[in-house]
Amino acid sequence: MLDMGKVEIWTGNQAIAEAAIRSRPEVIAAYPITPSTPIIETLSKAVETGRLRAEFIAVESEHSAMAGVIGGATAGARVFTATSSQGLLYMMEMIYWAGYGRLPIVIGLVNRALAPGWSIWVDHQDAYSMRDAGWMQFFAKNNQEAYDLIIQAFKIAENHDVYMPAAVNIDGFVLSHVAGQVMPLDQKTVDDFLPPLNPLFKLDPKNPVSFGSLTLPDDYRLLRQDLLDSMERAKTVIENVSKEWAEITERDWGGLVEIYGSETADVGIVALGTIAEEAEEAVDLLKSQGLDASVIRIRSFRPFPTEKIAKLARNYGKLMVIDRGFSFGSSSPLAMEVRNALYKNQVKVPVYSRPMGYGGTDVTYQEIAEVAQEVFKEEEEW
Amino acid sequence: MVNSKQLVKLEMGAKAIEKGNLACPGCQLNLAFKHSLSALKNNAIVVVPACCTSVIQGAGQGYGMHVPIFNTAFASAPSVASGIARKLKLDGSDTTVVVWAGDGGTADIGFASLSGAAERNENILYIMYDNQGYQNTGNQKSGATPKGAKTSTTPYGKSNRRKDIARIMIAQEVPYVATANAAYPEDLYEKITRAANEFKGNFRFIQIFSPCPPGWTVDTRDIVEVGKLANSTGFWPMYEAVNGKVILSKRSARFMDPEKRTPVEEFLKIQGRFTDDPQVIKAVEDEINDIWEWLKKFM
Repeated sequence: MLDMGKVEIWTGNQAIAEAAIRSRPEVIAAYPITPSTPIIETLSKAVETGRLRAEFIAVESEHSAMAGVIGGATAGARVFTATSSQGLLYMMEMIYWAGYGRLPIVIGLVNRALAPGWSIWVDHQDAYSMRDAGWMQFFAKNNQEAYDLIIQAFKIAENHDVYMPAAVNIDGFVLSHVAGQVMPLDQKTVDDFLPPLNPLFKLDPKNPVSFGSLTLPDDYRLLRQDLLDSMERAKTVIENVSKEWAEITERDWGGLVEIYGSETADVGIVALGTIAEEAEEAVDLLKSQGLDASVIRIRSFRPFPTEKIAKLARNYGKLMVIDRGFSFGSSSPLAMEVRNALYKNQVKVPVYSRPMGYGGTDVTYQEIAEVAQEVFKEEEEW
Repeated sequence: MVNSKQLVKLEMGAKAIEKGNLACPGCQLNLAFKHSLSALKNNAIVVVPACCTSVIQGAGQGYGMHVPIFNTAFASAPSVASGIARKLKLDGSDTTVVVWAGDGGTADIGFASLSGAAERNENILYIMYDNQGYQNTGNQKSGATPKGAKTSTTPYGKSNRRKDIARIMIAQEVPYVATANAAYPEDLYEKITRAANEFKGNFRFIQIFSPCPPGWTVDTRDIVEVGKLANSTGFWPMYEAVNGKVILSKRSARFMDPEKRTPVEEFLKIQGRFTDDPQVIKAVEDEINDIWEWLKKFM
């Protein structure tokens, strides 16, 4: 059972590494990059000291880090790695290989802005670069949720109705290097929740098949259709795994979406990760000023909770989307998703895109409240 | 050494190539694949980066090889193979993990991951089939293309020498490095067997000379002769380097003596890659002499 007495003070990186160790990966291939490096340092030590029975491959690039875990996964291993920013961009070819190749890999992605200029601080441009790679993308708001999400991510990724990789995102430095309260689980509880990987397929000389060979257009279309269908099925699996987790740990993070405040309000603030947690403070501040707002926190960016957002949106007068990313020449990626969800379901609620927090710019609850106050006053433009 | 009759018998039980194989007529890499995987008794998992072999396996379910193959992105094969090998280690498996890659995937785009896997001494048998250019995409120049050779991106002949990967692997202290030639399957068979058994647990590297009929504009019926001339002119010395010490292979040993070598023109004129420009002939001769001088230092 849950070791209720035990509370650790861990950084987000420690929380991710400890959760990964509890999940018993067999192959870890990794390359250092700020701010995710402490995750792989912790894992390499766990392997060296025998705390974790696994192979740690200290590869020569991020491209090889993802290739290494792809190799492990095709041989039937549960695998894990972590990276950030440029590292993710450098491994991007293999990120697609893992996604389109349907391998249940889990990666800890510590979000960091992209260069130039060099920035080690958080924004979400790195995460958005892998949007269409066939990966699930989850975002944690604090270290406890990062811990919980890693273990859940393996369970979701390895579910045979889903069977695809997952990235667990935490905000660089804001979570990765700031210590907070984490209640870990004992090994037996995690083992009961997460049984060993049951591979859908693996390379075996006794049953020689070719993986990823030349694929003609009709077969290719079928493969991608299956990925689309699996992403849809993943929505239900994510909700179910989240409920199961809540029963075991008494920590209910809300499945695809978490609401803070009322499910009916004048303004719904949509955000990811730590900005959404900061927005909770803003909602309290606005309430004290007589303004009625709630936070709609997207926990799963892929698959995106399209139907759920459309249904929720009917209860709000306006939506305000805060995003740490931007699609140059268009809008913010999160606002695009929300608008798509609303249009698709014929929900006519204004959506105000208010991107903030690029390159580690601090986003305070006072600032969120100020921007929200303007949104309360907006009448036409959306 | 096994003779060709014994080889045929040995290979009967391990059929590496099936119906559905899409290789060009006379393809030497395809023959080399057959002999190599037969030597491993098909107890192998093969990782193939982008190259001719990605295509000749056949399309979709029309699968032409009798071993499990993971097709991967160009630069990634040694790293994918590392991940597989590590999992097999945990499982206590005796299956050999093979990287089967062309010269572009080895000398150029995959070079960093090759060097990384060699440095980590991963339990991988890396086989580079060397057709001296990007033949799958229509004979573009690679790092392994020899000086003077015309390709579609060096239309008047390449101005620099080939990157000698076997030499680089020796410099990286890879415990077993060998060169082979698709025209000599018995020699290849023995080297694969030796690498798989005697040097198990280590990184091993074998580079196979694999002439390409369409890329080198060689008549299919002459393609084995090209391989033989590469040996007798000294252009492609076959050797093993065991823990850094070079041992010439039986078929190549006597061509250490320049007097015994076939004139290089014989090798050049049978292909469409080279002109009869004396400068080209001289460049190839110089390269041959330098390769042998280098090898002598490590014997």
